Amino acid sequence: MKYDQARWTDDNEDRYEPLLSEKASQTVDIDDSPLPDDLTRDSLSLPDPAEPELARHYTRLSQMNYGVESGPFPLGSCTMKYNPSFTEDVAARADAAIHPDRPDSTTQGTLALCHRLQDYLGRIGGMDAVTLQPPAGAAGEFTGIQIAKAYHEHNDDERSEVIIPDSAHGTNFATAAMAGYDVVELPSGDDGRVDIEALEAAVGDETAALMLTNPNTLGLFERDIEHVADIVHDAGGLLYYDGANLNALLGRARPGDMGFDVMHYNVHKTFATPHGGGGPGAGPVGVREELAQFLPNPHVRERGGNFEHYEPDHSIGKVHGFYGNWPVLLKTFAYIARLGDEGLRDASAKAVLNANYLAEQIEYEVPFGPFHHEFVASAGEQDAADAAKRMLDYGVHPPTTKWPEIVDEALMTEPTEGETKRSLDQLAAAFNAVAGDSDAELADAPSRPTAKRIDQATAARNPRLSWQALDDT
Amino acid sequence: MSNSDSHTTGSPYAPQTAAETATMLEAVGADDLESLFDVPESVAFDGEFGIDARSERAARREVARLLGRNADLTEFLGRGHYDHYVPSVVDDLASRSEFLTSYTQYQPEVAQGFLQALFEFQSMLVELTGLGVANCSMYDDATALGEAATLSQRVRSVSGDRILVPEHLREGKRAVLSNYADGPELTVESYPMTDGVVDVPALTDEIGDDTAMVYAESPTVRGVIEERLSAIGDLAHDHEALFCLGSDPVALSLLERPVDVGADVVVGDAASLGTGTAYGFGLGMFVTREEYLRQVPGRLVGASEDAADRRAYTLTLQTREQHIRKERATSNICTNQAWVALRTAMHAAWLGPDGLVDLAEDCVTRARDLADRLDDIVGVKAPVHGRHHFREFLAHTDQPASAIVADLAAEGFAVHAVGDHLVQVCATETTADATDEFVAALREVAK
Amino acid sequence: MSFDVPDDLRYLESHEWVRVAGDTAAVGITAFAQDELGDVVFVELPEEGAELAAGEDFGVVESIKAVSDVYAPVSGTVTAVNDRLRDEPELLNEDPFGDGWMLEVEVADESEVDDLLSPDAYRDQIE
Ligand SMILES: Cc1ncc(COP(=O)(O)O)c(C=O)c1O
Repeated sequence: MKYDQARWTDDNEDRYEPLLSEKASQTVDIDDSPLPDDLTRDSLSLPDPAEPELARHYTRLSQMNYGVESGPFPLGSCTMKYNPSFTEDVAARADAAIHPDRPDSTTQGTLALCHRLQDYLGRIGGMDAVTLQPPAGAAGEFTGIQIAKAYHEHNDDERSEVIIPDSAHGTNFATAAMAGYDVVELPSGDDGRVDIEALEAAVGDETAALMLTNPNTLGLFERDIEHVADIVHDAGGLLYYDGANLNALLGRARPGDMGFDVMHYNVHKTFATPHGGGGPGAGPVGVREELAQFLPNPHVRERGGNFEHYEPDHSIGKVHGFYGNWPVLLKTFAYIARLGDEGLRDASAKAVLNANYLAEQIEYEVPFGPFHHEFVASAGEQDAADAAKRMLDYGVHPPTTKWPEIVDEALMTEPTEGETKRSLDQLAAAFNAVAGDSDAELADAPSRPTAKRIDQATAARNPRLSWQALDDT
Repeated sequence: MSNSDSHTTGSPYAPQTAAETATMLEAVGADDLESLFDVPESVAFDGEFGIDARSERAARREVARLLGRNADLTEFLGRGHYDHYVPSVVDDLASRSEFLTSYTQYQPEVAQGFLQALFEFQSMLVELTGLGVANCSMYDDATALGEAATLSQRVRSVSGDRILVPEHLREGKRAVLSNYADGPELTVESYPMTDGVVDVPALTDEIGDDTAMVYAESPTVRGVIEERLSAIGDLAHDHEALFCLGSDPVALSLLERPVDVGADVVVGDAASLGTGTAYGFGLGMFVTREEYLRQVPGRLVGASEDAADRRAYTLTLQTREQHIRKERATSNICTNQAWVALRTAMHAAWLGPDGLVDLAEDCVTRARDLADRLDDIVGVKAPVHGRHHFREFLAHTDQPASAIVADLAAEGFAVHAVGDHLVQVCATETTADATDEFVAALREVAK
Repeated sequence: MSFDVPDDLRYLESHEWVRVAGDTAAVGITAFAQDELGDVVFVELPEEGAELAAGEDFGVVESIKAVSDVYAPVSGTVTAVNDRLRDEPELLNEDPFGDGWMLEVEVADESEVDDLLSPDAYRDQIE
């Protein structure tokens, strides 16, 4: 037996924590319901834990989970920064818990707050109008590309291609395809940035848009951005900004000033709303004036001191059934209102400082530079995924691995502004310890977390996706 | 840095002291923070956003000041967004930071807790629907429906590009579906309904071999329990179209199992368990048959073993997803609604099957009882459709619906206006205590 | 690390192998390819009777973290498919030149075989 965080685990047990269904389950027969029998099911079998048991179950599960408040979480591109507690209280307010179908006259508070957030985000991104509807970054991309499409169609200029650098996030490619575009992948230049010649060769009459992250996923600022914008605009295309990396630039540069026509903000990254184990997030989209007529329906505007929903003239329609992920937007608002100009500027400065400091302290090769909020180290001869597992043994969450592919065995590292120097030194020590470990040590890792290395191949070859699919339940 | 009530200079969540900052700058060979930014002069921003920094207390006060303008209404509202009582234990457990501040489980060894919770969530949906595969969330029911439409394209052997949806469908849901249908060039068409339910003969006329998917809901957006789901399923299958059913976990606890009526995909909003009213914030459920496993959008949690031979969970079949398959991915979704799913699973477990069935039965009887009471009011006829209802129903009012809505708002109540003389009323346990007053208020304004 | 490159096979740059016997050819992926992919978890293959065109993709191999198209070394009609790969995709890792074969094809144009890489040429490519 050993004491494992919170619970005695018998060495002979074949699971870390039984499923709810294994703890307490019940089958209820449905016979005298208020509906005719042919409209109802016969029975329902589900877990039936008493509240004390339920509380222990989820508490135990939480103890087998690592979050930003557990320790450093330098997952590149994900901006896993500290989530201020007070924003949770803000989102839990009773006067925020309203139904979406109320008349505008009864929701002036919510509309006023949305209007203010639209305005804040517009100023931060240098955009003329902002919609809050998209429920995540990828949904923002879809919104933005549908807006680009609507713009071209409005000009009787149908186009078929979206250009995306090879270092871009997978959602960019998937979004363009979802919107019906052919993807033209742009190889990166030797300096890890957009290759101008390749871009010139790629653009043309079919170019609907170029999707770009700046700084890019290597943490590098695209210094030629104005030239890039000219090339795309001269070809009649639009420039789309993937806002995932905006935490690098707050108050230093704005997508609107760089020539971007449409962008999404990734509020669960830049504005510190919690990632919630994979979501929810929110992906507001900002556009230049000329594109405001295509924004999703409805949009919020002010009329004589009152706020109202309205449908933009050539709206693309909707990308969320209602108004998007409202509680997340509320947390975003609270965060921006707390930090203000100075705080936002400072957050970016410290995020960039932390990334540069950490890059300096680690022994792995770190190609390219200068970096902003993140850098991509190379695990060299080591397998990056194995190196990541070994980092778990040193008590920290590893970076994103094996992406972007232009760095071999990539360790994409984004410490965020939330780490102290002491914590960065510990993080660097973990990187360096792993760099010195043998392949065998890496292959056997991790040994310290509750679960040991998990067999991914078996999971995929023989998918068991529910307790019903487990043989032994 | 300090956390006093006056606002602090810089970000209160960036903990470096001035001395540390200086040491770190020296370590990286930079003179000052600004020199770390590799931004050309011509695009540098030297303006201000004009956003004042505030103390935490002042930021909370600002939100309170703004939201204070919302009217305090008792909402008899539904149409896709429902308020059920969420027990405190859900808030308490879900807000544990290990859950709330974690991310997608790319390192399953330190994410077993969330993975197991999502595996349990998927399993609950499998039980509720009888279908083999549930993903661990889409954004909301509308986007889940959009994803179902694109799935129909990938799994269908014969070509077809028509998506048939019911005439009674939330406008917003249809609008989202249209956007998803745009890229793959699908057309979205409505089929008629008669007295609140699907007009099966009319659907028979509409459907053809060019139909890729037929969508139906139960309960419908008007709260009607659909009576001929099997016939709709058969019709779809006769034309090799997918049958997609829209529902929600509370309704599914009582109504016919989707697998028994031939559903190929089940979508809907699951946030009515676990989250309550949140201005349309949702949780898209997506459940389908095992044969479509490789075409499922979004994340899937599977069981496996770890090196200690113990059962362990991991995200699986990720080759479907955007980070691997890029433009050939089944969807572009990355960030999803995992934490909302966690809450839903907690709430469902708290209720247990008997609690869920009770809740669902109450949804039937509350709607019935309230409709009966409204029908007694002069100037009101309810329900409009002589059917079984779930949570909500349509009422006819002699007065214009817009006037009813406005007058009721003045009395502190909200209902939907859905037609010139049609209002829709939703009843759950959260409005039960206010029912008498509501009926009295309606009696006054309906005259 | 050096990988087995059997001398009796011909190869494609995209790491498929072909074993020609008379007018039929067996097709699979090389030891090098399976190593690059890692644990193979799923294989998608055409049906018997399908027509392949040299150089065009005919199937997909998935590992946990990668997806790869598989290309036809020669044109022809599929006469047999290795059904074992459906339940045992790991055969591609364990025995890529043997039990991990993918298809048998009735070769339409034997001259296409001459355009393929020799074992030595393929060895040069992967070293
Ligand atoms: C560079 C980049 N772009 C886009 C996205 C997609 O954002 P989301 O996960 O919010 O959909 C991400 C997030 O993972 C990202 O890192």
